Amino acid sequence: MGLELIKNLMDVYTAEDPMAFQHPDGDPYADFREVMRIEWKMDFTYKHVLGKYSKFFIELANGKFVTTECTKCGKVWAIPRPVCADCLGTARWKELPGTGELISYSVSNFVPAFMKVEIPYVLAIVKLDGADTHFTHQLRNYGDTTDAIKTGMPVKVAYATEPVDHPMLLMWFEPA
Amino acid sequence: MEVLDKKRRIYVLGGGISKFAAERVDGNMRDWINEAVIEALEDSGTRIEDIEHSTTSYFSDHFDKQLKGGAIFHDNIGMCPKPNVRVEGGGGTGGLAIRNAYAYIKAGLCDSMIIFGAENMGRQVPSDVAQQFIALASDTDWEVQVAGFYIAYYAIMMVTHMEKYGTKEEQFAMVSVKNHRNAISNPKAHYPMDITVDDVMNSKMITYPYKLLDNCLLSDGAASIVFATEEWAKKHSTTWEKKPTIELTGTGCGTDFMRMADRPFPYPGITHFRGKREGAAQAYKMAGVKNPREDFDCFEVHDAYSGVELVSYEDLGFCKEGESGKLMEKGVFDLGGELPTNTSGGLIGFGHPVGATGIAQGIEVLRQLRQEAHPKRQVELNSKRGGMDSHGGTGTFCAINVFERRD
Repeated sequence: MGLELIKNLMDVYTAEDPMAFQHPDGDPYADFREVMRIEWKMDFTYKHVLGKYSKFFIELANGKFVTTECTKCGKVWAIPRPVCADCLGTARWKELPGTGELISYSVSNFVPAFMKVEIPYVLAIVKLDGADTHFTHQLRNYGDTTDAIKTGMPVKVAYATEPVDHPMLLMWFEPA
Repeated sequence: MEVLDKKRRIYVLGGGISKFAAERVDGNMRDWINEAVIEALEDSGTRIEDIEHSTTSYFSDHFDKQLKGGAIFHDNIGMCPKPNVRVEGGGGTGGLAIRNAYAYIKAGLCDSMIIFGAENMGRQVPSDVAQQFIALASDTDWEVQVAGFYIAYYAIMMVTHMEKYGTKEEQFAMVSVKNHRNAISNPKAHYPMDITVDDVMNSKMITYPYKLLDNCLLSDGAASIVFATEEWAKKHSTTWEKKPTIELTGTGCGTDFMRMADRPFPYPGITHFRGKREGAAQAYKMAGVKNPREDFDCFEVHDAYSGVELVSYEDLGFCKEGESGKLMEKGVFDLGGELPTNTSGGLIGFGHPVGATGIAQGIEVLRQLRQEAHPKRQVELNSKRGGMDSHGGTGTFCAINVFERRD
């Protein structure tokens, strides 16, 4: 008998009144300061559908950068959209050369461990040739130091040749 | 957009806050909301049995691991079988809850509403998992896999601001210094601190130009406000005649593309908060605000990162594009300055338990306009007007609310 009956028990402790400054006449919750903490494990795996965007990833695997062109207004969204957000026209796939210009970037010396990337990590906003909007991805292979990275410099899409954990990682940017 | 019934006005009767802290190991969201609600009822001189409707404000089903949390919070405070609605606007959820009270009361769906919000952001999951949960508020197909954390995007915004206008790191470090300092006289704040620009500049670099002390922190906490019409307040609020009358005079909401890459350029491009400008224009029009820097006595700004506060000044119309850094240097936004901002400490100093944050901003404006704030952070009242701005994503969703004291 006792707390050892609780398999996922972490601890039982006495919590302080976090608003003692507001309770000059004593802690109104004095009866409730004994607190139990348990471990609650949840593990999910999803079967996630990439829908009408799938061809983008299929072509990345083939080493091609395709996106969508609106059949009504002609706008080319760099990140594909089956329906144009400007005019609601339906789009068609269009291949782009995969070259472009670095619009801006940030250099991170810290990233959460789940991201599994090297540090420093460079996030780039790129204006691709033939697109009317920007595209966001990592900038890699910029040389020994991030000092070599300059706004406005030409960049190109690079394609993975080794297996990746997510289809979005089939590409990245590199200096052109 | 036209406000149809000008006679039907919405008043802020009272507010309550359960302390913001890194980790509230004394309880969970249910406990904190109870505390905030009881304080809001006392402050407003109202009884829960008289209040007709509630609004729940929290953003993350992952942190809170409870769907329909609002049903629990609502029944815990004895609101059943009366109506409840949950709102969600990412980091701007609390600001949206205030806007929701305006909409429901103005429309006549109820004459009184209590809003309550909280978030269990703290340390119940490892930081790495917390970052993943937050990353889910960016586009999970196109952004999370590339950079699953917000600071990389916010840093890009600030780099472009620096390049375009010459804004300096020291200028936004001053925002962090101000907000940590303002929090010192807020006993419910998570992160009060007396620091210098050098302390911010020398703190650990996370993503250039943002250092550790430029960021707000994940907080636990809750907040609650009671709103009502004058007629209802006269009948049900024992403090209506005793406390200064504070009216919610304007509310606005604006949005932008979820992904920064999709936003039109040059404006807003990846530099400005278009949604904030849109929302502010609506709120200011309703409230009769012509020149925001003069027409407000105080303003709570969504300072998720120190630079975000500067950019927000520009998009909220406190100054022209590119001027915010210089005005910060001049002390315009300090206590005693022309327009003190984040007198509560803001997200950086007060804390950011997301669903509570916007509501707490509203309560700070209420305290300021009633002249109830701690003397060290009380502003001087001239226009008798205060505002708040809260946003989610990278300014993807923005809610702006304006309050005015009626003497």
